[in-house]
Amino acid sequence: MNKSEIKKLIISSLDRDVDTKEIAGKLEEAGVSYNFSQTFGDKVLNKLFSAGVTIGREVEFVKYMNVAFYRIALTGVAAIVILLISIFLMQGSLSVDSFLGLGNTHDESIICLLTGN
Amino acid sequence: MIDYSYDANKEKELVEASLNGDKSAFGEIVNRYQKMVARTVKGMLGDSVFSEDIGQEVFIKLFYSLSDFRGEAKLSTYIQKIAVNLTLNEIKRRKRFFSMFSQKANNEMYEFEIAEQDTEERREASEIVNKALMAMDTKFRVILTMRMLQGYSTKETAEILDMPVGTVLSRLSRAQEQLRSILLKL
Repeated sequence: MNKSEIKKLIISSLDRDVDTKEIAGKLEEAGVSYNFSQTFGDKVLNKLFSAGVTIGREVEFVKYMNVAFYRIALTGVAAIVILLISIFLMQGSLSVDSFLGLGNTHDESIICLLTGN
Repeated sequence: MIDYSYDANKEKELVEASLNGDKSAFGEIVNRYQKMVARTVKGMLGDSVFSEDIGQEVFIKLFYSLSDFRGEAKLSTYIQKIAVNLTLNEIKRRKRFFSMFSQKANNEMYEFEIAEQDTEERREASEIVNKALMAMDTKFRVILTMRMLQGYSTKETAEILDMPVGTVLSRLSRAQEQLRSILLKL
């Protein structure tokens, strides 16, 4: 295939209604081909299954940590919800005073408590 | 010729075996798709040792994300997405590096080798394609790679690049304009 034919083929690959598979095939036959080295597969497998064992373990560890995080976070959220419900039931509201345990206490009673009179 | 044969059952078996730690099954996946990954990575990055590193990274990332593969799309599409994303990241990284430390022009960031045993005609074809690819903007280069080297349709290209078909279509015509002016100079 000469230079101008190659150029035409390249340009036509961007036409809307064209058989791109045919173009890719023709270009490959014309010498446009890409390959990794012959040892590519072995290198990938070595990285994954020998040196990669530690990486694999690290990934596993991160995965476990993620699962553990969700469990801990969910437990925390559940505890907060239970706390809010119990405060609401005991104090009748969710104001700041209720959180401090002062929801049902009048100012006078606090003075009495503090002064002892 | 590019092999487009696809056996969903065999693919599923290979994925399941790989998930169970079967080295030879994953080796088969690597053998099946390494040429496809090479076309994407080398097409977009040029032919250098770094391209091979990115290629390896593609399969390592695939291995650790195989459990996320639900089999709704073809495995080749899934691998292609990983390859495109990692290659685009590498292009961004190179651009940042070259803009900071070098005055090299955009197309000088890439290099490509041509097989010595090829005939003059085949070498010329390869050279034209590589030069045209490297001179294009990244967003057009990725579309040209998908169509010209991989033979994907507009719909397949849109799926791999996670963009609407309309966007791919509009980029096709703009890419063609740019390609024409590049090829005039070659």
